[in-house]
Amino acid sequence: MAVKVEVRAVSKDYLIPVLDRISFSVAEGEFLCILGPNGCGKTTLLRIIGCMEEPTAGEVLIEGKPLDFAHLPEHRIGFVFQEDRLLPWKTLRENVALVLKPLGGEGERGRKVATDYLRFVGLAGFEDYFPNRVSGGMRQRAAIARALAVEPEILLMDEPFGGLDAQNRRIMQGEVQRIWRETKKTILFVTHSIEEATLIGTKLVMMSARPAAVREIIENDGGADRHAIVERLNRMITEEVIRQQGLDYGFGGATPGERPMGAG
Amino acid sequence: MAREAALGGPAAKGRGAASDLSRLAERLHVSTIVVFVLVLLVWRALSSAFGSYVMPPPGAVVAGLRRVLVSGELWKHAGATFYRIVVGFGLALVAAITMGLLASAWRQARIAVHDVIAVLNSTSVFVWIVVSLIWFGLTDMAPMFTTLMITLPVLASNVVEGVENVDPRHLEMARVYRLGEWERFRSIVIPSTIPYLVAGMKVGFGLALKVSVVAEIFGVTSGVGYIMNYSREILATDMVFVWAAVMILIMMLTDKLVFEALSRRVQRWR
Ligand SMILES: Nc1ncnc2c1ncn2[C@@H]1O[C@H](COP(=O)(O)OP(=O)(O)O)[C@@H](O)[C@H]1O
Ligand SMILES: [Mg+2]
Repeated sequence: MAVKVEVRAVSKDYLIPVLDRISFSVAEGEFLCILGPNGCGKTTLLRIIGCMEEPTAGEVLIEGKPLDFAHLPEHRIGFVFQEDRLLPWKTLRENVALVLKPLGGEGERGRKVATDYLRFVGLAGFEDYFPNRVSGGMRQRAAIARALAVEPEILLMDEPFGGLDAQNRRIMQGEVQRIWRETKKTILFVTHSIEEATLIGTKLVMMSARPAAVREIIENDGGADRHAIVERLNRMITEEVIRQQGLDYGFGGATPGERPMGAG
Repeated sequence: MAREAALGGPAAKGRGAASDLSRLAERLHVSTIVVFVLVLLVWRALSSAFGSYVMPPPGAVVAGLRRVLVSGELWKHAGATFYRIVVGFGLALVAAITMGLLASAWRQARIAVHDVIAVLNSTSVFVWIVVSLIWFGLTDMAPMFTTLMITLPVLASNVVEGVENVDPRHLEMARVYRLGEWERFRSIVIPSTIPYLVAGMKVGFGLALKVSVVAEIFGVTSGVGYIMNYSREILATDMVFVWAAVMILIMMLTDKLVFEALSRRVQRWR
């Protein structure tokens, strides 16, 4: 299938280097999960792909065309942030309708489309609620409705279920999978949950600890070896977390008790 | 613990009744009433000790209040003061919002606006009163101008603070979804600034009332400040107290009726 997004040797330095020559590509209609320990630069990477942050080096191509970071994104992008980022002074419907305005969905038409997408994510009846009056799970659904309402070519999701309890998380995972199957969108989904990634992703990108490089890319077309993948990824992420915290013990090394007093 | 719980039955019930009573007392502001009665008693004692020129008795003030209410003097002077405040305060509001717009549109302007606010904040009321007497003479304009210049820094600093506190994460959301300049301003910058503006208006209006009556001592022939000073000149101390009471009532009423309602309205999404 055609390549939709290509990340080419993207590096990003803040005060410290965060991303180190990241490269991978995503085919049209693929569900890519990006995995990595906390603080390794997953959000930064997604913000670069979403044209919100310019990389220090490298480029991002969408359908073969490099992103121009000086301007607003040219493509329709749906972004589900780590927090819902709904405007608290607008109702759920107004929040969704707002992003339709630049696409010509003003007034009554925008309201109708917004209502339809809110129903699609199971929020029928809550259109006129303010975000502070509904639960965290419902706010996150509204944020998903907003991202879908622009009919995005690419859907970027940054740990969208991080704040949800296990129950809601499972329900929402199912929902996102349903949406992906029904709409055939290209999805880039950041998570630090291996369970989640292997459950819903068709391709997994494992990042190393900061400065993050691509550690492994795994095809996950379902089948019997999911358990093996989970095992392997679990081992990798543990190694990365240990590396990130600058601890030199762990796998095959000395245990904490055997280290000299006061070290570390 | 267990023993306390076992004994807790009737005692807890007693505590419940006691806390009901204290809630009721809070609702009726019982402690305020007690303080008020004490003040009245002290006031009466002072009045009989020093005479009614220094300290008119509470009864005289109540009678005076009724007199100005019946004669219509209350409306004349309170109205004149209110009119001047509304004009001066209104102009300050327009100027403050303009400064906020400049600060939000343009980084260089933001620095200038901050400095202008700092200078205005450091300028005494008296400077504006004297200057406005020179510029505008003995007219309505003097108290209006003074009110404008004193409330401007309060309003402007609140508006600018609001503009600077717009959540960058909301602006980032606006960028991904390609909202235009105007839509971003209308849907994000203005709504995040309004609570700051309303808070500034609340403080600013109180200041306006306090300042404009001082300016009314000079040059004008109406207004609460004028009539208070006039009452002092004709040795009617009871009327000085009456007009002071009128001022306090105006302040408390506008605060309750206008600003509390306004802040509830702009925060209805909370
Ligand atoms: N705007 C920024 N300025 C400076 N440092 C940043 C900025 N954004 C992120 N970082 C740093 O980059 C690193 C990666 O952050 P982030 O991409 O949020 O990680 P993740 O999403 O994987 O948890 C962190 O150490 C963070 O402090
Ligand atoms: Mg993150």
